[in-house]
Amino acid sequence: MWRIRMHGRGGQGIKTASQMLGSAGFYSGFQAQDFPLYGAERRGAPVIAFTRISKDAILERGPISSPDIILIGDETLLNDPQSAPLCGADPSTVIFVNSDRMPESLASNFSVTAVNLTDLCLQHLDNRMVYSSALSAAGARLLGIIELPDLLQAVEDELTGVSSQVLRGNLNLAREIFEIIQPAVISEKANSPLIAKSLVFPQHLPVVDGAPIILDPGNMALRKTGNWRVERPKIDYEQCNNCMICYARCPDGVIRTAPDGRPEIDYDHCKGCLICAQECPGHFINTVRETGMFP
Amino acid sequence: MKTSKKIMLTGNKAAAWGARMAAVEYVPAFPITPQTEIVETLAKWFADGTLQGKFTNMDSEHSMFMAAGSAGATGVRVFTASSSQGILHGMESLYTITGWRTPMVIVNVSRALATPLTLEPDHNDVLSTRDCGLIQLHAETCQEVFDFILMGYRIAEDADVCLPVLVNLDGFYLSFTREPVLIPDEEEVRSFLPLYTATQPVFQASRPMARASAVFGGATYTSFKLQQELACRNAENCFNRVAQDFEKHFGRLYVPVEMFHLDDAEYVFVMSNSFATKGKSAVLKLRQQGIKAGLLKLRLFRPFPGEAIASALAGHAKVAVIDQNLAPGMGGITYPEIVTSLYACEDRPDKILSVIGGLGGKDIDDQDFMAIIEHLDKPDSRTPLYLYDENDVSGFNRLQQIAKLKEAIS
Amino acid sequence: MKVLTGVHKKIKDLHPHEAIAPGTGLCAGCGGLEGLRMGLKELGDDFLICNAAGCFTLLSVYPFTPLKGSWLYTTMGGPVPAAQGVRDTLDIRMRYRGLEKKENLNVIVVAGDGSSNDIGFGATSAAIHRNLDFIYFCYDNEAYGNTGFQLSAASPYGSATQTTPSTDAHEAGTEINKKDLFEIWKAQKPIYLATVSPREPIDLSNKFARAKDLQGPRMFICMSPCPTGWGFEPKETQQIAKLAVDTGIFPVKEYFEGEVVHTVRPRKRLPVEKFLELQKRFRHLFEPHRQDEVIGQIQNRVDDYWRQYE
Repeated sequence: MWRIRMHGRGGQGIKTASQMLGSAGFYSGFQAQDFPLYGAERRGAPVIAFTRISKDAILERGPISSPDIILIGDETLLNDPQSAPLCGADPSTVIFVNSDRMPESLASNFSVTAVNLTDLCLQHLDNRMVYSSALSAAGARLLGIIELPDLLQAVEDELTGVSSQVLRGNLNLAREIFEIIQPAVISEKANSPLIAKSLVFPQHLPVVDGAPIILDPGNMALRKTGNWRVERPKIDYEQCNNCMICYARCPDGVIRTAPDGRPEIDYDHCKGCLICAQECPGHFINTVRETGMFP
Repeated sequence: MKTSKKIMLTGNKAAAWGARMAAVEYVPAFPITPQTEIVETLAKWFADGTLQGKFTNMDSEHSMFMAAGSAGATGVRVFTASSSQGILHGMESLYTITGWRTPMVIVNVSRALATPLTLEPDHNDVLSTRDCGLIQLHAETCQEVFDFILMGYRIAEDADVCLPVLVNLDGFYLSFTREPVLIPDEEEVRSFLPLYTATQPVFQASRPMARASAVFGGATYTSFKLQQELACRNAENCFNRVAQDFEKHFGRLYVPVEMFHLDDAEYVFVMSNSFATKGKSAVLKLRQQGIKAGLLKLRLFRPFPGEAIASALAGHAKVAVIDQNLAPGMGGITYPEIVTSLYACEDRPDKILSVIGGLGGKDIDDQDFMAIIEHLDKPDSRTPLYLYDENDVSGFNRLQQIAKLKEAIS
Repeated sequence: MKVLTGVHKKIKDLHPHEAIAPGTGLCAGCGGLEGLRMGLKELGDDFLICNAAGCFTLLSVYPFTPLKGSWLYTTMGGPVPAAQGVRDTLDIRMRYRGLEKKENLNVIVVAGDGSSNDIGFGATSAAIHRNLDFIYFCYDNEAYGNTGFQLSAASPYGSATQTTPSTDAHEAGTEINKKDLFEIWKAQKPIYLATVSPREPIDLSNKFARAKDLQGPRMFICMSPCPTGWGFEPKETQQIAKLAVDTGIFPVKEYFEGEVVHTVRPRKRLPVEKFLELQKRFRHLFEPHRQDEVIGQIQNRVDDYWRQYE
């Protein structure tokens, strides 16, 4: 069995990618299973999806903890503790990452393929950052057991309802990825003997601990949503006239008034909605793409 | 000077008196037959100043239980009551507030569930709340109704428990039935059950907190649910502790299961609620005929006192579990619970018969009990055994004929 | 005409205090969150939010809460009776049990349009009937957003939802009209009732400031542009909110002492399609062919509405 885990962000087509790969495996004559893991979060938040492909019946369900292939649609996830894309990886794990450079820290530990999907999306999908076709193509090619026509059929089937132009772009994107990547060497994982867990009998706790009660108001700030950002708003302080429109318009309240009266963005939490940049009356907030967040 | 008094009260009035003597401060209410007399009585006592606090007329049982739960989380002694369809309508709220772990006492006046619609009792309503994490006490007499409410607050508010307690009484057979009830002296009640002080953080400005937030992931969910399980199980010891203290104050001792002529019994009826009185009467008559019968009455139903039941039933040859409820396709709801508690018991009964009777208030009479004895003696008796006879069939036939009279003529 | 005066005149007057810490799992660009954030600024931190199942349930996920005040998650139809229980209890404790006034809380219900218009509608009506002293904040994104955008009674005519898709047989998508929750609530004469838009923070803040000192049901409906469900880029939230006001689709108004006052009036109303054409949920009105009749009906309804107030 081959186990493929995909990491991306809400809105990037990660679930669809897992389905395209599942269908492609199925069309190529294998047993297949795919499954998305929805967290609480939405657009921009980390998303994980899974595909299993096997010659025999698949007697597994749910998340994949020891993947053969990890497909990372968004390199900024590499240092995201919630997404934890490298969790369960070992030296035999094959890793694909959407990046314009080879991340050294990864390359020294794993077999890594890096392709700049963002540029390819710009080219084929009119700059829409939806990686479903690209990631499924990468997965299919790395597996080395799926034929291109089966992949393209899967892409077409999973995109039922899109315009012919969008479909064409996706098919071209999938074809190009399939051509530029080489199949990886994937070793079958040996079954290790089953070891029993050591179970514990729970202890009764006082109700303040035993019921869902949170006594630290505002502790949500401990969770950093800054890594949701695909683009970063940057205030041009040379021009900013402190009108504070950006502060008023920020849904997450992450723009504060600094002691000197200037607006200041809390990048730990800014989700990158870019309302501030859009609404700044003088267009003094620029946007730059987030990169270079490797561990 | 002590001023206890014995007065004639219906089960509903006894429940209202229980709430009054417990000095409840908040009653969100919604009417439903046969419970309404309870909240009507409390409404009057709040209106005339007998009780201090607030009575709020709610818009449904779903809303009522929600208000009861949030009031518990804000720090007053809460009481409410419902029945039947109302319990079902409020079911989502009941599951929700038991998870909040806020104390209160809820009275359910049992009434059978539609369809068909009816007013008289069986226990499908209260047993539908079996798994939602409530503590359940089932009453046979109006005195038990009153006493269980006082004990209920002690259990609900105990730091080891912190869960709502439901006290059950049968509609009509207790709710509208008057019998003498001893109302103890108020000071004595206060020394048994002091005025309410919350034992957990409650909503107020100096204590901002989030309660009942969502969790993601089965492990966290399991951790909280296991805490609920442990708290609920703690309630059995707590019941016994509270019962002893209750005896000290009021002279009546309650054990989780009542054993009636059980010592030498060869035949045992397992029953609960008001029909247990009928069972006790049958036991006495059967004994006069030389049949060694006995009765086990379930008082504490959640947590399920499995060990107490097993030790009470061990060594008795023949047991009939009389369920006044029906799980279609399965039979009685308490039967498998009783059987399970006996599984590990070496001298468990030779025969445990499941009996379905008393649905929708249908009587269980002496002849029914005799029939049960006969079936306990039969090697091949059908199980479950339905308490349903030829008269019931012919009566039903007559109604069917009327129901299709025109069709018969044409 | 009785118009309550505003305390805020410009953006810089707004309270710098944030009652909602960042880090929540709500979508980037959420219009409803912006509305709630602005509203809470006016109320101080002594509040308790009773929450109905919906997108905003994700504000607090154990062990985290973004709120400086309190939070109680209830059920989809239960936040209002929960508010009743809390309000009653605080009153009881202050009256009989010596709880100091400074311990009092503003009791707030935060519910989506699905809860407000559908499953929690009866319980809300009942609370207005009981004259419950509370603030109700409905974030209206015009569908069941948390479950993936299905029809609610607030979904507007002509919009596509997951359960009212546009097909050949049902070209308009949603073929029935949005429930007029403002008018329905108004019929029960709550002490205060207003619609607010995240586009109009001064107006919104002034309305919360007014409501704060009143007693009784204080009802807010907040237009909540939803990038995820409506189908637009998160950065366009404010632009969409502005067009909702400028086209007259979303009237910004308040009801107090028997009168309805439009607190923000579009000077010259833009055609409704300016609002519709930016959103995926209305795309079928323009592609593959223009549905003039549906667009015309939407325009007529808006025109009919404003004619009453000319």
